[in-house]
Amino acid sequence: MTLVADKPSMQMHDLDSVDLRAAIDRWQYAPSSAFTHHGRRCCSTAREWLFATDQSQLTGQHKLTGPRWLLQKYKWGPSQWPMTWCRAVEEKYLDCGALAFLSRTVFSARSVNSYSVQLIQQYTDFTTYQWSKKWTDHPASTHWIYGALIYHEVCAVEITPNEVKVWDSSAACWINAKQKPGYGSVVAMRIRYDNAKRAKLAWGEHLVTTDEWHMLGSRKHLAPSIHLVKQEQGGSHAR
Amino acid sequence: MKICLSGLYSGTNPQPGVGIARSLRAAYPSATLVGIEYSNRCSGIHWSDLDDVILQRGWEDIDLESYALSIQELLDSGALWISGVDLEIMWLASVFPNGHPNLLTPSAPALKRISKPAVEAHRGLPVKIPEFISTTASDWDLHAFCRQHGWRVWLKGPYYEAVRTPSWDIFERFRSVLSEAWSTDNLFLQTHVTGYEESICFCAYQGELVQAIYMSKRELTDEGKTWAGEVVELPQELAAPLRQIVRDLNWTGGAEFEMVRDPAGQLWLLECNPRFPAWIHGASITGRNLPAALVERVTRNKANKLESTSDEFTRVVLEIPLRDGFPLPSLAEPFPGAIGHSLKHPSGTLALAERLQRLNIIEGNATKSESESVARERTVQRHSRSNENGNGNSNGNGFHPGVVTPRLESPRVPSTFIADLNNLDVKSTPTPSWLFFERTAASLFKQASELAKKLSSPDLRVTNGYSIKTNPDKRLVRLAFDSGFLAEAISLGEVQTALAVGFEPGQVVLNGPGKRWPEISLPASPIHAVFADSLSDLSSLIRSLEKQQLHAQLVGVRLRPPHSGSRFGISIDTPQAFNALVHMIETLPRKYRFGIHFHMASSNIGVRQWWHLYESMLRWCHAIEELTGRPIECLDLGGGWFPDDWHFKSTETFESAISRAKKRLPNLQEIISEPGKAMAQPSMALATRLLEIDDSQSQIKEAVVDGSIAELPMHFVQPHRILHQNSSGEWSPLKRGRTRLLGRLCMEHDVVAANVELPSHVQKGDVLVFCDAGAYDRSMSYDFGRG
Repeated sequence: MTLVADKPSMQMHDLDSVDLRAAIDRWQYAPSSAFTHHGRRCCSTAREWLFATDQSQLTGQHKLTGPRWLLQKYKWGPSQWPMTWCRAVEEKYLDCGALAFLSRTVFSARSVNSYSVQLIQQYTDFTTYQWSKKWTDHPASTHWIYGALIYHEVCAVEITPNEVKVWDSSAACWINAKQKPGYGSVVAMRIRYDNAKRAKLAWGEHLVTTDEWHMLGSRKHLAPSIHLVKQEQGGSHAR
Repeated sequence: MKICLSGLYSGTNPQPGVGIARSLRAAYPSATLVGIEYSNRCSGIHWSDLDDVILQRGWEDIDLESYALSIQELLDSGALWISGVDLEIMWLASVFPNGHPNLLTPSAPALKRISKPAVEAHRGLPVKIPEFISTTASDWDLHAFCRQHGWRVWLKGPYYEAVRTPSWDIFERFRSVLSEAWSTDNLFLQTHVTGYEESICFCAYQGELVQAIYMSKRELTDEGKTWAGEVVELPQELAAPLRQIVRDLNWTGGAEFEMVRDPAGQLWLLECNPRFPAWIHGASITGRNLPAALVERVTRNKANKLESTSDEFTRVVLEIPLRDGFPLPSLAEPFPGAIGHSLKHPSGTLALAERLQRLNIIEGNATKSESESVARERTVQRHSRSNENGNGNSNGNGFHPGVVTPRLESPRVPSTFIADLNNLDVKSTPTPSWLFFERTAASLFKQASELAKKLSSPDLRVTNGYSIKTNPDKRLVRLAFDSGFLAEAISLGEVQTALAVGFEPGQVVLNGPGKRWPEISLPASPIHAVFADSLSDLSSLIRSLEKQQLHAQLVGVRLRPPHSGSRFGISIDTPQAFNALVHMIETLPRKYRFGIHFHMASSNIGVRQWWHLYESMLRWCHAIEELTGRPIECLDLGGGWFPDDWHFKSTETFESAISRAKKRLPNLQEIISEPGKAMAQPSMALATRLLEIDDSQSQIKEAVVDGSIAELPMHFVQPHRILHQNSSGEWSPLKRGRTRLLGRLCMEHDVVAANVELPSHVQKGDVLVFCDAGAYDRSMSYDFGRG
């Protein structure tokens, strides 16, 4: 991928022109990531270490404090699956699924109801190209990349009955429910609920039915354009 | 239409003047905007939206009386004035006590009611005020506040500036700096709130709310200033109480309530600024132009509406050309060898604070006009006023017309100190000398012993272990023995000390990384407990036990609390380290009872933090017990308790803690606590004599004592109550003041107390007793400069 001008200028895709439905179909049956357990002490030790460390890190703060320490300990990067507990906690890099699973697990250990959340996010082809290369070099699966869209895993925590906040453990931040469309924005989400009966959970002003893909924001709203053009002198700049 | 705007400073901590100008220009393209500034170093004077700039003299030397008259003329001529400078607003409130229709700033009574930290006017809003304490409280109480809040506290100036003070010496240093800068002792400490910063910003005119918005900070500078934000309409649950507050205050002008939302969703109010915030134009570009709304309300001139493209804004840094006629001034010469040219407060804000104090417009040390009798009366009134918000001692600060210099409080001193001193012939004692407070020591040991007995039950014994290293004075070790304590030793030398006093080996706990030093023989009988400080220490202990070189009833490990920065104990920071520990514990012979030790001084990390650590350690212990299958029969909690935190804690707190321990660790049979500091610190004092008093000025600035940092090496870690005996033989504590007590040594840092007030009748040769010196002051003191 080059920056030369004879290539089409790169721009944030209009959501209408993006085949979001195809992306949803692609990830329709994607399961939420989870570690496996050997059934032996190695994995039990790993789990106990995680819970005790989280409590130490929390230093008595409120149980809804995001576990930022996870991203400090584990850099976001490619992982190979399946992953066991004992291997996962010793890794230097973990992907979003692993980080989301860890976050979900520590929130549960804090007695906070938490759920796996699957997202589709919008980036640019430039960005996803770089990720694709990194994951391929690792090697790890690039199933999560679809053009400028990506599949991403995070977790939701219940703040009041039927109301959630969404924690992005790969960025150590709460996703803004009032987000504006554009680079990095969430275009669809699915909240996995461990319950046969579906529920409606409020995330900001969104009402999300669990276990169904929910498209967010106006599909007619154009994300801001980022045009890359070549200057006459040979450089390039964003306009 | 002419509008005057002040507060054009646009450095790293900008004032709102430029933002207000941009907002007004967008709304009123043909208005005349005049910038008012007091220094040509303020880059905002060059902003192109200003039609003109009036550069006044700096606040240090501007003639306030004539300036007030010229402002009056300006306002009378129809010009509006929007101020972006807090102190200017306070001054204007005094110049115009009845307001002025064109002066868009709040009144004196309104300013008083929003003064921080209490912000009395906040009632009705769903916010809490973080706990605070005025620095007019005694150092003893200030240290207690810091400990209580885990040293996560901010020292805040009366108008500007806030500094984190994570330790006593840092607190003392910045208290001195801020007091000097703002000419007041009435700063305050406030507990830190972790969370996301949010603001209510509003404008009002004569008690009528004009417009209000809600801003969430989305990016901050290193100084915590807004760099990007999201602006929305004020939520309904805030609008109604705000409207009432504005009405009650009869507010005019802009304002901002700065808050933090914690993880539980609770809003905490930090302060109310009596002006628009520096980010105000960020709100304007989201379509909510508050400066324009205010001007529209006052003048009834319709404002152009800004088209909004987003509810979010961010900032960039811009280079701009200079305004004609205002070339850049030269940069100030750096001090020789110093770094930087910083000229903070170029317009003379500090000088303005001092001038306003002298004029009795605001509270501070520069005020001199009240008589002593009136001063006493006001002090009595202040101390009898109930603490309305329950969040701390609120003296308030900032705007107090006609208020005297704040009275600095004296520390409370236990009656046993006085009783002990009266039993000693201090006058005849050569100095510097250590004084043993026999009655104090005896009562502390007795109290601790009785507490341990009370907390014990048939299936769980609670014991105290006296930490010998804290102070190995034989009188204290003996008291520990007589009170049924164990002896906690960190070396074989200390073990010998314990045995010499009468302890049996079975009453000794051996800890620390140097427990096998010096190389002398260990007792043949089993010692009570030995705790390994590292994996190799544990491995070595196991070998020694197997070879019968060491005998112990209980063998355990000390855990290093994760990410604590401690050098002691076995690390459990990584899963690999934890795994290694679990494996090694499994190799410990089963015939020994097993225990866990952890130790972080609560005097360093704070009481609240200590209890959180306690809970998390119980979690680790539970995990270890489950994974190793090894029952944990003993929990050693270590020491490091500040005496007041130990002796004056309610029994219920400890009972509850023990109950939680039993729940997590059902095999627990013994809990050991090691209160060394709590016992030793109050038990000894250092008697010193005044060698020299510098009374060359009206106020004693410095005095030299024959004590020094050699006797008080920990003087910077905590305050010491210092007692002076008057001619009638009565002992009383020194209050805080402006005198430095210098030690006898020829060392620049030999300052044993930085800010005390010596009684007016003090003389050379008078004895000063430094209490609270019986712990590491005594044990770590050294011979120096004695020949």
